[in-house]
Amino acid sequence: MTRTYLQIAAIGTMVTALAAGLLVPADAVQGDVGRLMYVHVPGAWLAYLSFLVTLTASVAFLFTRKLRWDRIAVSSAEIGVYFTGLTIALGMIWAKPIWGVWWTWDARLILTAVMFFVYLGYLALRKTMTDPIVRAKRSAVFGILAAVQIPIVHFSVEWWRSLHQPATIIRPDASPQIDPPLFAALMMGVAAFTVAYVALMAVRIELARVDEAIDAAHNSNAVVAGDAVGRPNLKVEIHD
Amino acid sequence: MTSIPRQAIEILRRDLRRELRTGEVLWVTIPFGAIALLLIPLAVGTDIPLLRSLGPGIYWVVVLLFGVLVAMRRSGADNQAQRDFLALSGLDPAARFVGQATANALLLLGFELVLGVVSIALYDSSLTGWPWLLLILPIAAAGLALLGTLAAHIVESLGGATALVPLLVAPLSVPLLLGATQSMEALRLGRSILGWLLVMLIVMLTLAIAGILTARPLQEAQ
Repeated sequence: MTRTYLQIAAIGTMVTALAAGLLVPADAVQGDVGRLMYVHVPGAWLAYLSFLVTLTASVAFLFTRKLRWDRIAVSSAEIGVYFTGLTIALGMIWAKPIWGVWWTWDARLILTAVMFFVYLGYLALRKTMTDPIVRAKRSAVFGILAAVQIPIVHFSVEWWRSLHQPATIIRPDASPQIDPPLFAALMMGVAAFTVAYVALMAVRIELARVDEAIDAAHNSNAVVAGDAVGRPNLKVEIHD
Repeated sequence: MTSIPRQAIEILRRDLRRELRTGEVLWVTIPFGAIALLLIPLAVGTDIPLLRSLGPGIYWVVVLLFGVLVAMRRSGADNQAQRDFLALSGLDPAARFVGQATANALLLLGFELVLGVVSIALYDSSLTGWPWLLLILPIAAAGLALLGTLAAHIVESLGGATALVPLLVAPLSVPLLLGATQSMEALRLGRSILGWLLVMLIVMLTLAIAGILTARPLQEAQ
């Protein structure tokens, strides 16, 4: 029931944020193309949030050895990878009319792509292991190591001379550089994406739990639904 | 039970002896890297001024990508029985990590030196500020060795480890690549390289701490 409420909330906030993004005045310089920022920036925020949650859950797993932290880590990393991909794709669509190219060798762009591949590596690493404890321990170590990328990506626009614009909201001088109506639309986008993240996490964590239960059932040779199709040769002992 | 530094030195000696016997780095990885340095100009153009400016960058990319093979080399030689034996003998996992990373760093330093000579010969690279290389090369070798050893420990005894290690190491080695290439560029332009050396040192220390702290959980995950 909670998941349903979360999904309704996510759809509601998404629709509101979309309306806000379309109704605010166009950017004075970029025109309507600038509206892509109401999706691009929240996507980037969500990628950071997801990977920070993966880091926290990885540390928590190594301290507590409780598998629920591993489920949170993988769920968040998976969502983070999708949203990093979305951020890169939207950035490229925006860059073509504004910069004249789909891609340029800019520190922020390169490092975001690198972060995408680091977490793809995290997901690939998990695919090679079936034992949940072994998988959780090894992934937790890599999950911590991978998080080094997050501050480097964020502050790359400050540390290197960059074509990508500097941070608009989380700035070293703590003064957002954006007009109030545009700022409000951007914040609504961020809120909508955050609610969507929570809704997606709830579903994905449940999926991870079910996956583990199925694996455990397979390993213990117990019968689960679908075995008639998936494991037709399984010999089943029936006890009265 | 011997002390942790003593255990690490024993592992280092074992790995170096193994390399002496098999010559995996000397006869396989170094020639492979040298071939890459030879082939790249065929793809980007054999124009001498162009190669002179691209040379240091090409050199570092080859070192970082092919250097991963040095860290992976041990994965092929080790087996589970040997690792179990070492663990049951009371070997501290952190000592194993430090010993293997140090051996890898020394081998990578050799790899860098040989490829450096090849790179200078092929690309006519400038050697402005060469004394700084005495710092840049060991720090880059240590950073890459720590990263490669940590990644090799994470994927130890897993299927597909050969493909996974480069995927895990290559993106994470970006700060080292930037530090090394930007230091060379700064030397060429006569600027200070201390900032970039500091970046590489921070990466190296972070990896060393991460490797030592996670050695035990990774051993338990075998």
